[in-house]
Amino acid sequence: MKVDVLVIGGGSAGLAAAVTASRAGLSTVMVERHGMAGGMGTASLVHTFCGLYFIDGDEARHANAGLPEEIADRMETATGGGPVKMGRVWVLPQHPVEFARIADEILRESGVTVLFHSEVISLEPGWRAKLACRGELREIEAGAVIDASGDAAGAAMLEIQDDRAAADRLQRPAYVSGIQGVVGELAGLTLSGRIVEGVRSGDLPKASLGMHFRESGRRGEIFGTLDLSGEEIGDYDPTDPACLSALEDTGRMVTNAVLRYFKEKQDGWKMAYISHWPARAGVRESRRYLGQAVLTGDDVISGRRFDDEVALATWPLELRETNRGPKLRYPEDGKAAGIPAGALKAAGMEDLYVAGRCISCDHEAQASIRVMGTCFATGQAVGRMVAQPGVGFE
Amino acid sequence: MDGCCGQMTVACDPDDVLKMLREEGILELADGCGVEVDLFEAGLDSMAVMQLIVVIEERFGVALGVVDASREALGTPVAMAATINARR
Repeated sequence: MKVDVLVIGGGSAGLAAAVTASRAGLSTVMVERHGMAGGMGTASLVHTFCGLYFIDGDEARHANAGLPEEIADRMETATGGGPVKMGRVWVLPQHPVEFARIADEILRESGVTVLFHSEVISLEPGWRAKLACRGELREIEAGAVIDASGDAAGAAMLEIQDDRAAADRLQRPAYVSGIQGVVGELAGLTLSGRIVEGVRSGDLPKASLGMHFRESGRRGEIFGTLDLSGEEIGDYDPTDPACLSALEDTGRMVTNAVLRYFKEKQDGWKMAYISHWPARAGVRESRRYLGQAVLTGDDVISGRRFDDEVALATWPLELRETNRGPKLRYPEDGKAAGIPAGALKAAGMEDLYVAGRCISCDHEAQASIRVMGTCFATGQAVGRMVAQPGVGFE
Repeated sequence: MDGCCGQMTVACDPDDVLKMLREEGILELADGCGVEVDLFEAGLDSMAVMQLIVVIEERFGVALGVVDASREALGTPVAMAATINARR
């Protein structure tokens, strides 16, 4: 197969990148390991779009026009809900089931060639990629590559220099499950007190202290989110399959323990059940590219703007270096920061672009730009960049 | 007698609560905020409440539970100090 653009990964960034490139007239293939696009927002059941809107203000104002706004509009139509303010930030509650379907529609309408159930396993400048699907290899030649793998998988395969925070500083992962059958109001604070009592009495594992709940927006359905330490079998390493496997196992074990405890102890939970597990735990941070520019936490905090900026970052630094809840650091006056084009281009490589949570930035800036709304924006930005003259087979 | 913080016999006052919240990094409080600050407005949520109850047990030797996990009981440093004192 020969295409203008190969997009690695179909999460929020890869989706936006592939759709934008294809709408610009480039033949585009998007390779995704799961059977649906959306990444964290579908496979990992993360149910809030963060980073879509400017911070503060009396109403939610989109920070990045175009595809981020279009996806938000389609989600609002699907759920019947709109943006809500949580503290100083506006977020859009989203439903993973709707997101998977919306992603299908946008990809289909835009003419993107979608290859689910496959992983890029080798990459050579030029560009040639090998995909693996159920033991069979396929080759793709592409004029440009957009790495939206989240883990900078392309950088690892090319063995080019990447960047990565120390294991004890990486943002901790989350395990999100669907729960149904709860009757009555969701009493979040009471549930927190109940979990502490369960841990104190030895009925619940200590990791249960990372658990919290939110209504899904659908009648009778809630999401349970468990923030994990990632240190279940040693240092946290989100690119080690043994570590990732322990995350999945622990996520299910702890969530199940909490559910069984609530069924016995908590009013309204007697008939509750876990209705779905995520396809995978949500990893917030791993490898990052070293690009032609590096966005820093100071840039985000000071609301720095760049002549060559291609998207805006409008989420505070949401640091989750422990599984004891987030620490938020807001930009001065809630200002938006620019994301320079150079942070979306790999250093020293022709026609290799990056979007999503593994763009070229430091650990602190990553705590802002990793959210799905910003990933839509960097995805759209690289989609536009590859469509500029001089890129692809012309 | 729990000697970990030496406060077992001394009543917890709202300034102790502010100190605890700042030292433990449970939530970011503005520099000048007083003992009547609305902690839920300042970002205290169900997740942070769990950590808070654990920390209160460590620091004050007081085991809060389900009945104390409410806005009324924990919503300001004044209310939280009263809750802690009442459970001794």
